[in-house]
Amino acid sequence: MTTTAVLRRIGLGGITGSPIAIAVALALMVVLLAVPFGHNGYLEIVFRNILMYAAMAYGWNLIGGYTGYVSFGQVAFFGAGAYCSAVLSAHGIDNLFADVALACVVNALFAIVVGLPVLRLKGHYFAIATLGIALALSDIVANLDALGASSGLAVHHVDEAHFYVYYYAMWLVALATILGTYFIARSKLGFAFVAIRENEEAAAVLGIDATRYKITAWAISAMMAGAAGAVFAPANGFLDPSIAFSVDSNVFPIVMAILGGAGTVAGPFIGALILAGANELLQRYFIKIHTLFFGAMIVIVVLILPRGLVWLFGLKGGARTWLKSLTAYKA
Amino acid sequence: MTAAGQTATGVALRISDVGMRFGGLWALSEVSFDVEHGSVVGLIGPNGSGKTTLMNVVSGVYKPTTGSVTYDGRRIADVPTHAVCHLGIARTFQVVKPFASLTVRENVAVGAMYGRYGGKRSTRASFERAQELLEIVGLARVAERAASDLTIPDRKRLEVAKALALDPDVLLLDEVMAGLNATEVEEALELLRDVNRRGVTLIVVEHLMKAIVSISTTIIVLAEGRKIAQGAPADVLASPQVIEAYLGSRWVKRQEQLRIIEADREVAARVQPPEAGA
Repeated sequence: MTTTAVLRRIGLGGITGSPIAIAVALALMVVLLAVPFGHNGYLEIVFRNILMYAAMAYGWNLIGGYTGYVSFGQVAFFGAGAYCSAVLSAHGIDNLFADVALACVVNALFAIVVGLPVLRLKGHYFAIATLGIALALSDIVANLDALGASSGLAVHHVDEAHFYVYYYAMWLVALATILGTYFIARSKLGFAFVAIRENEEAAAVLGIDATRYKITAWAISAMMAGAAGAVFAPANGFLDPSIAFSVDSNVFPIVMAILGGAGTVAGPFIGALILAGANELLQRYFIKIHTLFFGAMIVIVVLILPRGLVWLFGLKGGARTWLKSLTAYKA
Repeated sequence: MTAAGQTATGVALRISDVGMRFGGLWALSEVSFDVEHGSVVGLIGPNGSGKTTLMNVVSGVYKPTTGSVTYDGRRIADVPTHAVCHLGIARTFQVVKPFASLTVRENVAVGAMYGRYGGKRSTRASFERAQELLEIVGLARVAERAASDLTIPDRKRLEVAKALALDPDVLLLDEVMAGLNATEVEEALELLRDVNRRGVTLIVVEHLMKAIVSISTTIIVLAEGRKIAQGAPADVLASPQVIEAYLGSRWVKRQEQLRIIEADREVAARVQPPEAGA
């Protein structure tokens, strides 16, 4: 049985991915509303981080998963968003709505300016250029005294009794990225993104201005990462370049989106939940070698589920179809 | 009203003195011809004669090194590739380029969304238009399949449906009949005649001589990047220059020899009739 024949039986689930997976993701989101009621500060931070990574994974998913431009620089947008909040805080403005709004505007402009030259590149060249942007921005900020340079900035935040404000703000950002992805994927915009991913030349012949839509995808993805950063900065209370532009914040969202299913609506959230959850548990029980288990887990899942976990949701014929698909991939 | 049943008349495309150079090779040189609204122009020539290059120049994928292609007076080289279809020019690719992970219907809907009248169509209207076109080209039965799943003839049909979704006035077809069997070729020709009757001007690149002769109003022959003949199908195919380009000068000589031998035999037969009814 060929790969395509297996895929046909499994059902691609269309441009949004499996609807069952989307329903599951939204149901889990509703469950996550309950976390602050547990009055467990540690759990609240763990789940707030999951929501933050999820929002960033959705940002990456739009440009990397849907449009096919694999960016390794999304942390630049996260950091830029975080510093927007820090700057507002330094000017005495402590309003999460203002933080998120400013982060979105700044990131959209940043993405357009940087995207015009960078989105002309493809494949490895694009990946390296985006990585370069993230590293360069981190170094620039580390040398700007106005932004606290490498010693960082304190960001005003509410007292601990009201920390749930940040949790729910992050929950809203994550929800907005999920719903945003859903509606974009089903709109004309989503089809333009996928057409560019599948074949840019054929997309152009069908009337799609690739440059314009690639920049649109990147700007929206930058806003998603930036909004997460804008809520993170006051929640964390402190910001320096190593926090704002950390390697984890760059790599985790990509792995989460791919693990869950790149180019699907539910994939990044499910990936974020499983990956961040597994990371927490492994860290707790295998403090010294948890990264080894963590790495091994990623390798195994990518090997046996190359299209992501969401793929399992549309499975017709259950485990047998899935096993057949494994042999088909080897063939 | 022209024979094609539409009101637009006169020259649609004017190809004047087009040359296209790749490094040291002139893939096209000094190619000029006009395409009338509503006509069917067959473009033939041996492998490597520049047919696909010419298609790429006309559809705006390549900018010609010399000369120009104008459509209703507008230079195509001045228009970005993605805007060419908004002028009313659509094309298919010889090597089909489906969006593999999308369904057949979604593939066609993308054309309807972003083509000439895409701006006025909602997503839903685009899908309805796609369904209509799938019925016209005979792909409605596989509308929900992934495009990567289609057989070769169906992939060719999908290319045509995608191009038609752009609502073109001029449709460039690059070997859409290659790899089809005799029945499928007949079906494809019927489809193209139908499209032409709806007022679409066709430029058809094809290797199948029988197909091209039966559909074209004018045939243009390219050889080594130059136009060597143009005219009605029967006239063009009888031209010694065309025969030579296709089959080589030795073949022409050999045909000449065969004709002489044949004539000799006939003479011999008349002189010495075979004994009948001994």
